[in-house]
Amino acid sequence: MKITKKIITKIEGEATLKLYKKDSLIEFAEIEFWQYRGMEEYLKNRNYMDACVINPRICGICGHSHLIATSKAIENALNIKITKKAKILREITLGLEIIQNHIKWFYITLYPSVKEINYFKALEFSREIAKIIALIAGQFPHNSYAVPGGVTCDLTNLEIIKVKNFLSKMFDKYQEIIDINGKSEDLEILFEDIPKETGKGINKFLVLGDNLYFKSNGNAEFIKEEDSISLNKNVLYKGSFYEVGPLARNLENYLIKKVYEKYQDSIYTRIFARLYEVNLIFQYLLKRIDEIDINEKNYIKPTKKSGKGVGIVEAPRGSLIHQIEIEDEKIKSYNIIVPTQFNLSNGTKESPSPAQASLIGEYEKQSDLIFKCFDICAVCVSH
Amino acid sequence: MLDINKVKQRIESLKKLPAIGSKSVKEVLEENGFSRRDFLKWSGALAVSLGLPATFAPVVADAAEVSNRLPVVWLHLAECTGCSESLIRTDAPTIDDLIFNYISLEYHDTIMAAAGWQAEENFEEALKKFKGRYVLCVEGGVPTKDGGDFLTIGPDAETGLSKLKRTAKDAAAIIAVGTCSSFGGIQAAYPNPTGAKGIHKVLNKQVINVPGCPPSAKNIVGTIVYVILFGQLPAVDNFNRPKFAYGMRIHDLCERRGHFDAGEFVEEFGSEEAMNGFCLYKKGCKGPYTFNNCSRERFNQHTSWPVQAGHGCIGCSEPDFWDSMAPYEEPLANHKFESISADATADKVGITILTLAGVAVAAHAAISAIKPPKE
Repeated sequence: MKITKKIITKIEGEATLKLYKKDSLIEFAEIEFWQYRGMEEYLKNRNYMDACVINPRICGICGHSHLIATSKAIENALNIKITKKAKILREITLGLEIIQNHIKWFYITLYPSVKEINYFKALEFSREIAKIIALIAGQFPHNSYAVPGGVTCDLTNLEIIKVKNFLSKMFDKYQEIIDINGKSEDLEILFEDIPKETGKGINKFLVLGDNLYFKSNGNAEFIKEEDSISLNKNVLYKGSFYEVGPLARNLENYLIKKVYEKYQDSIYTRIFARLYEVNLIFQYLLKRIDEIDINEKNYIKPTKKSGKGVGIVEAPRGSLIHQIEIEDEKIKSYNIIVPTQFNLSNGTKESPSPAQASLIGEYEKQSDLIFKCFDICAVCVSH
Repeated sequence: MLDINKVKQRIESLKKLPAIGSKSVKEVLEENGFSRRDFLKWSGALAVSLGLPATFAPVVADAAEVSNRLPVVWLHLAECTGCSESLIRTDAPTIDDLIFNYISLEYHDTIMAAAGWQAEENFEEALKKFKGRYVLCVEGGVPTKDGGDFLTIGPDAETGLSKLKRTAKDAAAIIAVGTCSSFGGIQAAYPNPTGAKGIHKVLNKQVINVPGCPPSAKNIVGTIVYVILFGQLPAVDNFNRPKFAYGMRIHDLCERRGHFDAGEFVEEFGSEEAMNGFCLYKKGCKGPYTFNNCSRERFNQHTSWPVQAGHGCIGCSEPDFWDSMAPYEEPLANHKFESISADATADKVGITILTLAGVAVAAHAAISAIKPPKE
């Protein structure tokens, strides 16, 4: 048996992929991450509000999801309910983070591993999207406008109209990438020489967050972390591996379901779900923004000082979980489980993780693409 | 004084060097729909933000055009990629990112064209080919504990520490992009489990720091263009930050400054005072102690900045701010030295407070809790 070690760069961070091959087909794969930062250690004994500033720095790509998860965890621990207005504003900024992430991932991370492309259009798109986030949150990446109890900003009607206008403009523009009927020229070009059935996973899906229009199909209580072969940790749900992410949470959409029924959980379905999800989020946000009541409170002050809580959001790459324990306004313990851990765990040949399963039985030349389909965030994993 | 003729001479000598890549900067700009006029406008704006006289605008344009003679190698160490994310969203005129992408293509983990083994080869190739000529930008702190084993990069599992030292050896200039590479950043916060440090602590060459979490793209590009323009590092303050960007406090040009002077403060998020846009000092804004140009340049193409969105400045461009500026939602004056990190950081806080001396003198009664030092 031949073992090939591949270095995967151009994901958000770096990972090592060990491929075990037999007759040029991949027989088994091991995924390693060799970075560690120790984010949870910094949080201990600090005031819980500090988590809202520190946690976005876990990741520069999806830091906003970490911010919202942090606020949600603290709200859960201290029993705080936020207003509908604050909730909608958070949905908008988080939804936009997902949107700009997917566009960048498709054109900058994924596409160049197959074909050459001018990715400036992706940069332009994500720059414009970041501007909308900045209108609400102050800046992107890394802001701290969502605090336990609500948001710090106080938008005027004019700003809401601006946000809405921006949203519908970008939604229109996105139709050039993939339209509402699921037609995408760039996606078809990408698959010119690649079979659409490539890279099937384990066909088990998990959604834990319930932000935006997503519906949870599980309970975070059944999540367990265990040590892996490198510095990252495996994540199991009820003792087995599950795939999280855009495909998992959009299976109810009829277009995505149609593609899924045809190609199962192959890379094509995964990419399609991810690209098409952007349309669904735009539609949802455009509807939700009309429900903002500007007279509602931005913020409600917490009264409790201790408690245990969990914050879950559907982040760009899937379900993101933050667990916190607060004692007299100080953080006693903190734990973070990121979506990439679910998808890129290290299982055995008999019971592989989603990423391992999709590599097994494929040609090595496709491994880059298959791997990147999960939109790996090594930065998050090395938290 | 800046001598424009010397700069012109330098650019002429750069022009004689072979260019990297098959297309000129001019062609790349044209392909992407930017006119000569756009380009000159951008150069003018950049000259202003670098603190140069207006006569320098055409020279800045020339410098940008020869920027493909000085390759940039970009290393990612222990970090979150947020600085690169900031960079590709350039709040400056959009030409920044075209130029930057263009000159940085030699090696940049996230946005380079090559990947995997090929990228590693390009990296080694660039070090040899452009020996003594390349500008090294580093994003992320460098873990030093256990010989740097908390971060290994590439096929041979080289430590970040070793890769950094090797790359820095033959660099023409070294720029630390972001607070992590400048001062260690979040990795270096108490208890600093990986022994992370700012890169200047492990290199024996001058490093120019462009801190911020993330720094604005304008400051990153500005520093690089400056290096190309003058072949030397820009004027810096005592923390090696370019003065053109970090010469003033956030507080100096803050839009809420009037409320500070009038003693009008926000004491609670969501309150009447918050809705009136009062000063955030009492909600922990560290603007008076933080040197950066956020209040002037803002973020995301001048759209907004954290203070505008109602959250105080966290002091992210100051050394050790993760420890010395915490808790972030309380004024520094209320700093209680009771936390577990107090012992570890008391001396660092001392240094920060020293730098505050100037602020305290200028500040008003409202922050009397910070005593002016005895002269």
